[in-house]
Amino acid sequence: MFTVIKTGLETSVQDYPGRLGFRNQGFPPSGPMDSWSFRLANRLVGNEVGTAALECQYIGPTLAFEQDAVIAITGADMTPKIDGEAVPMWTSIHIKAGQELALAFAKKGVRAYIAIAGGIDSEPWLGSQSTFHKAGVGGIEGHALQKGQQINWRAVDVNDTLVNRKVKSEALPDINSNNAVSINVVYGPNVGWLNEAGKTKFLSEPWKLSGKSDRTGFRLEGPKLSFTDKAHNKPPEHGNEPSNIIDQGYPVGGINLAGETPIILVNDGPSMGGFINPFTVPGCEFWKLAQAKPGTQLYFTEITVQQAQLLSKEQSDACADDKITK
Amino acid sequence: MIYDKPRFSPGGDRYILIEFGDEMNLTLNFKAQALAKLLEDNKQLGIIESAPCFASMLIHYEPEIIGYDSAVTYLTELISELGPSDDIVLDSRIFYIPAVYLDPWTKEAIDDYRIKINNEKIYDPDYVAELNGLENAQQLARVHSGTEYWISSLGFWPGLPFMMPLDPRCKLTAPKYNPPRTWTPKGAIGMGGASTAIYPEALPGGYQLFARTPVPIWDTSKRFDVFENSICLFQPGDRVKFVPCDEEAFEYYEQQVNDGSYVYNLIEYQKFSVKNHNDWVNNLDITKRF
Repeated sequence: MFTVIKTGLETSVQDYPGRLGFRNQGFPPSGPMDSWSFRLANRLVGNEVGTAALECQYIGPTLAFEQDAVIAITGADMTPKIDGEAVPMWTSIHIKAGQELALAFAKKGVRAYIAIAGGIDSEPWLGSQSTFHKAGVGGIEGHALQKGQQINWRAVDVNDTLVNRKVKSEALPDINSNNAVSINVVYGPNVGWLNEAGKTKFLSEPWKLSGKSDRTGFRLEGPKLSFTDKAHNKPPEHGNEPSNIIDQGYPVGGINLAGETPIILVNDGPSMGGFINPFTVPGCEFWKLAQAKPGTQLYFTEITVQQAQLLSKEQSDACADDKITK
Repeated sequence: MIYDKPRFSPGGDRYILIEFGDEMNLTLNFKAQALAKLLEDNKQLGIIESAPCFASMLIHYEPEIIGYDSAVTYLTELISELGPSDDIVLDSRIFYIPAVYLDPWTKEAIDDYRIKINNEKIYDPDYVAELNGLENAQQLARVHSGTEYWISSLGFWPGLPFMMPLDPRCKLTAPKYNPPRTWTPKGAIGMGGASTAIYPEALPGGYQLFARTPVPIWDTSKRFDVFENSICLFQPGDRVKFVPCDEEAFEYYEQQVNDGSYVYNLIEYQKFSVKNHNDWVNNLDITKRF
C-alpha cells in the first residue's frame, strides 16, 4: 500500500489499451496518452505492458510506501526523488517500506508514468481500470488520486532480478523541450470536405496547441480552412455550416473541425458527433501530443494508413521485452 | 441520397468509417444497426468494436491482426448479406420524458454564450423556428414535441441518444454552434442538423437548445431499476416521446429523482414495423405542421 501525500496536478490510474468494446454506448477508451512511455514503464518492472499504472500530468505526486516495491518512472522528466535523493528514470528501482517518492513539475514533456511491479489494484469498471475523470468512472473512485488515499498493488516478490533494469537507448521516445513538433496525420475520414487550398493550408502552416486542452481534446489555433462544394451544398439534415455533417462515429485521434476550431479528439474525447474529421492522428503519434506543452507549434505531415500502421508496429516492437536490459 | 455502394474511409491507423448515404432515414439506420448485429455475431478476429450512427458506421480494428484492405473486403461482403429492411419488425420500447420547453436553464446557457463568445447569436428557439418557417418559438415547442423519436445510436457521451423524428411533419433542421458552447445544462434537449439529443450531463456542445428534462438518462450508481442491465437508459431501437410540462412539474419530478421515488414512464409491449411506418408516412400530408 502507498498513501497519497500530495496529489500532483492530476494523477490517475490508467491501463492500456483502456476501455474497449463500449464505443456504441458512447464510451471513450481512456488509457495513457503516451502509451509508449506507459508500456515501457510496465516492462521495466516485469509487468505485462497494459497493466494498470499511474499517469501524472504537469506536476507529479508524492507517495509514501508502506511496503517494499519495485517501481519505474518514464515519460516526462519530473525530477523524481526518493526521500530527497534523485533517482533515475527509465530504470526499475527498489523503493523500501517507509520511503517517500516525490515527483515535481515537468521540466521536459508533460506526462510521466509510474509503474509498480504487480500493478495497481483497483476495481475494473466495464472491463478496464482506466480513469474516465469527466464521467467519474474507473480508476480509484472514478477520479484522479485524492490526498490521503491509500492505494494497493498486486503483491509480487521484490527481488534483485526485477531491479535496475533499463530500456535500450534505441527503444526510447525522444521527449524533449522543443517548441515545434512534427506530427504525422492520415487523410480521412472526411477529407473530401476540404478543398485543395484548405488541405495545403492545414499541412503547411503551424498550429499552436491551446492551453484549453485536456484528456478530452487538444485545441489548435491557426488559420481558417476552406471547403469543397460538398461542404457548402448538402442536404439540410447535415446542418448548414460547412463543417457540419450528419452525426457519425468519431475515430480517436480525429482532427475535429468544430465550427472553425480544430480539436484533436484524444483518449477521453467524444465518440460521436456532427462535425467533420478531415484528418486523423494515428495512435503511434499520440506520445508526441501527450508530451507537448501548450503553446507548442505543431506541424502536420501526411502519411498513408499503411505507413501509420508500420509506425505503430515499430512502436509496439520498441515496447517488447527484448528492449529491456540489465 | 442512399449510396449504391457503401463508402469506406480510413480514420488513422485503427478506424474505418462506412457511409451508407448522406441523408437521415430509417432505412439507412436499420442498415447500420443490422451490420452492428452481424459484426457482434460473427466475432471476426481483429474487429474490436463498432459504433453505428444515423447513416454510417465506425469500425475499430486491430491492424496487427487485420489490415485496412482486408477489413474493407470483409465488411463489404458482410454488408452484401444484409437483407431488405422493409420486412423488419422489432421490439421497441417507448419512454415518456417530461420536458420544459423554452425553459430558463437552457436560456441561461445561451445567454452566457452570447455574452462570452458570440453576441450575435440569436436565441436558439427563435432561430430554429425562423429557419424552419414556423410562426414562433411556441410553435417550435408544439412541432418538436409532436412526434415520437427514433433512437438511432448512442454516442458523444455515454448514454446520449441521437434521435430522429418518426413523423415527417415534425422534421426540423438547424446548424450546429460555431464555435461550440463550453457548457450545457444537464438534461438539456436540443438539435443540430436533423438530429435531436438529450445531454446526459453538463457538457460542452454544439446543438441548438430549447428544452430541458429532469429525468436522468444515465446513472453510474444505478439508483433506479431501469439501469440494472446498463448504466445507459436507452438503447438503439427505443423511442422517446417528450411530454411538455411546466417548471412546477419539473421541480416535482426533480425532487422525486433526488429522493429516489421517481417512476420511469416506459412501455415495453410494442413492436415497431418498418412497413407499417412507411405505409403511414406515405399517406401523410407532410406540408401540415402542428
